[in-house]
Amino acid sequence: MTASHVNPPRRRRRPDYLAWGLGIWVVAFMTFLLFPIAAVVVVSFSSATYIAFPMPGLSLRWYARIFEYRPFIDSLIVSLQIAIGSAALGILFGVPAALWVARSKTSAAALIGNLLLAPISVPAIVLGFSLLYLLSAIGVGISFAALLISHTVVAIPYISRTVLAVYRALPPDFEEAASVLGATRWQTLYHTTLPLVRPGIFAGSLFAVLISLDNLPLSFFFGTAQSNTLPVVMLSYMQSQFDPSIAAISTVQMLIAVTALLVLNATYGIDRLTAA
Amino acid sequence: MVSVPLSLRGISKSFGNVQALKPLSLDVGAGEMIALLGPSGCGKTTTLRSIAGFEQPDTGAIYIGPHDVTELPPNLRDLGMVFQNYSLFPHMSVGENVAFGLKMRGIARADRERRARDLLKLVRLGDFADREIHQLSGGQQQRVALARALVTDPKILLLDEPLGALDKNLRESMQFELREIQRRLGITSILVTHDQEEALTMSDRVAVMSAGEIVQIGAPAEVYEKPVNRFVADFLGTANIFSGSALAPEADGTWRVALSGTEPVEARITTNKALAAGERVTFAVRPERLLIGPPDGPGLTARVRDVVYRGSFLTYELDAAGRTTPLFVYGQTRAPVPVSSAVRLTWEPDCAVLLEGRA
Amino acid sequence: MSMQTLTSLSASPPAQSKRNRFRLATGSWALPAVLFLVAFLIVPLVANAFRSVTLGEAALNPWAYYEKLLLDSYYSGIFFTTFKVSLVTTLCTLVLGYPVAYFMVRYAGRWNALILFCMIAPLLTSIIMRTFGWRVLLARRGLINVWATDLGIISRPLDILNDPLVVYIGLVHVMAPFMVLSITAVLQGVDVRLEESARVLGANRWRTFRHITLPLSLDGIATGCMLVFVITNGSFLTMLLLGGGKVQTLSLLIYQQFNLTQDVGFAAAMGNVLLISAMVCVALQTRFVRRRGVKA
Repeated sequence: MTASHVNPPRRRRRPDYLAWGLGIWVVAFMTFLLFPIAAVVVVSFSSATYIAFPMPGLSLRWYARIFEYRPFIDSLIVSLQIAIGSAALGILFGVPAALWVARSKTSAAALIGNLLLAPISVPAIVLGFSLLYLLSAIGVGISFAALLISHTVVAIPYISRTVLAVYRALPPDFEEAASVLGATRWQTLYHTTLPLVRPGIFAGSLFAVLISLDNLPLSFFFGTAQSNTLPVVMLSYMQSQFDPSIAAISTVQMLIAVTALLVLNATYGIDRLTAA
Repeated sequence: MVSVPLSLRGISKSFGNVQALKPLSLDVGAGEMIALLGPSGCGKTTTLRSIAGFEQPDTGAIYIGPHDVTELPPNLRDLGMVFQNYSLFPHMSVGENVAFGLKMRGIARADRERRARDLLKLVRLGDFADREIHQLSGGQQQRVALARALVTDPKILLLDEPLGALDKNLRESMQFELREIQRRLGITSILVTHDQEEALTMSDRVAVMSAGEIVQIGAPAEVYEKPVNRFVADFLGTANIFSGSALAPEADGTWRVALSGTEPVEARITTNKALAAGERVTFAVRPERLLIGPPDGPGLTARVRDVVYRGSFLTYELDAAGRTTPLFVYGQTRAPVPVSSAVRLTWEPDCAVLLEGRA
Repeated sequence: MSMQTLTSLSASPPAQSKRNRFRLATGSWALPAVLFLVAFLIVPLVANAFRSVTLGEAALNPWAYYEKLLLDSYYSGIFFTTFKVSLVTTLCTLVLGYPVAYFMVRYAGRWNALILFCMIAPLLTSIIMRTFGWRVLLARRGLINVWATDLGIISRPLDILNDPLVVYIGLVHVMAPFMVLSITAVLQGVDVRLEESARVLGANRWRTFRHITLPLSLDGIATGCMLVFVITNGSFLTMLLLGGGKVQTLSLLIYQQFNLTQDVGFAAAMGNVLLISAMVCVALQTRFVRRRGVKA
């Protein structure tokens, strides 16, 4: 009796107009987001010395120009050094502090937790401006060291934040287990805690690196002729010339960042960044 | 004085205003498995965590063998522990997890790998050393946790709800397996559980805890058959609670009791406590000890309100004269007594256990 | 400045049990970070506030710069513009972004990763690149003008690039991902069964959204709005490079004061105002989210 309906006629699904409407909206939104970026990538291959459409032809001359115009390469190297150096210092300062703040219930820990995250809320231009006077007063002034210090201030909250989130979500049981099994405090840290919060350290450092690379409001106070970061050089170049070399160096910078994101996605999972 | 493997001497602990543990003393004999049983918040976990060294008792001392370990950090107490959710390190292989305790003790790699393999064999996971933790089923993880806890030859094994995360069938088979391994190794063990069946099945003695103290401690059969008060009677299985007043002792040591209610019925209970005639008494009878008899026989008049088929047995729910709460009786599944039948309930005097305090 | 959000979507710490849990770190572990941040964050900001009431014109009247900012019609106009720009940007990103966030959480399914990638990809490009992109598109001989002329929509190229409107377009473009990601973070936590219950109980789609989804996602909206508002307040690149410099805001003014006039006291005062407004926004946002969090 129950098996008598062989191949019942397929009911046609009612189209979901809301889903379609939202879908079109999303596509439009994505176009809006990606269009200017795509335009820059396209222009970077232009053979013209000015920016105009239609492009007269394609060439890689603006990528060659990156290497000819020394400040681009020099500042890219400084930018990378500052980004990686400040992230490393941020780990050194941020991780131990975050490990304590995550587990301590004292009001001092809450206060220090706020301090660790505070630099995120301070407008970069205000921080840069204020720090410039202090660093000048103690003789660091405008220098590579000044860049490194200022970028480290900003790196600390990003690294602390992800480490805090990961460590708070981690039950203390693992460390208790290690401890019962005979691990000392340092053995527990090395063999259990650090491996378990490594994704948080990694993700936070990556954020810190990406933010450092684009932190013009902070960098432009501290750059010298010898050590300037890429955004500062790009800004001053842009204010005097309007040629596709900016497009080429931007594209290169984007490729570096996208590669970093793909690495992050492979090791940590992009979904977990928004879910946190 | 010969020292016992584990001795708790008057330990107590408060968290803020909450007294989690009233001064508690307990001696655990060599090779013995003691279950700490009770509802959440009864202090069983605090007791276990104090033994492990995660909590510092406010008063009292903890002795492992002849040594006072009260002040010792967990890593120096030489314990094995199976955690509630196993807490297997997700970033290590099965073999690395098991060998962890040996590594912390500075044992050479070859030795610890050999020992880890032996332990994995003991828990019947001989070929699993190179697997990742997330590849294991719940039951396998449980075994790895046990192997990891035992690998260092600990003096005491602590088991914190070790089977709580497993489904029912697996839990039952693991109860026997865990018990068997514990007996074979002769390791002194503390089992924390809220599952009465687990406590009864696995342990040599059960300590029933409530509100930060041990209410009753004894062999499983003893605490089940002779609960000292209503809490123990209710927590370990189902109990039918009766109240009444003592009438007179019989020659065989039992007492005749008049049950409270509209229809006075006489019953007999066993007690070694000195009762006075006319004293109010509360006693419990387990559902499997109540006997259903024909309506014209002796005993308490009752009517069958409901019969629930439970597979291997039946549960009768009965309304008895003069009672507001129903009585429960377990019966054979063959030839059930139909709903609405009038019946009489009786019990053997030694199945009625006098409880402390009022009902 | 750009990617602040992904991590500032504040998650309140999970409730801890009363029991003492294992603690590896001690307070001394935080000491290096505390010393570093006090030296290079707290001290400079306090010194900056101090400078704003002592240097230059403030030597005679400590509040001179603040009075100038509030009372001088030119500067109060800049105040107003800053507020207006941030507010309009916030509202635009909210209206544009909410449907996107809703789609991502409820409909995107396997497309979610792709949309998310497209949402995060712009955050990986420098703001200079994105601003440059709008100049490429909107310049007199840019793509938009060329296409519009070819299609006969306009007869001759328009000077859109120097229109203040472009500043808003640029800002919305930079800020929209922050808004979307803030809202998705909260919407993900709204159980779809709540919406289904409302439907079963007789609510149509709009009423379900109005009475269930929207109230439950207010935390995300609040976080996103405060975030966009604060970051927009602090931006100056977009105003500097787009719209022909016609949209004059506080941050841009600080940049110019520093670069051109070197009036340290005045720049310090403006920076202080910017800092205080950012702190107020953050405090409002945490208060709002925490209060609602308790209720839920």
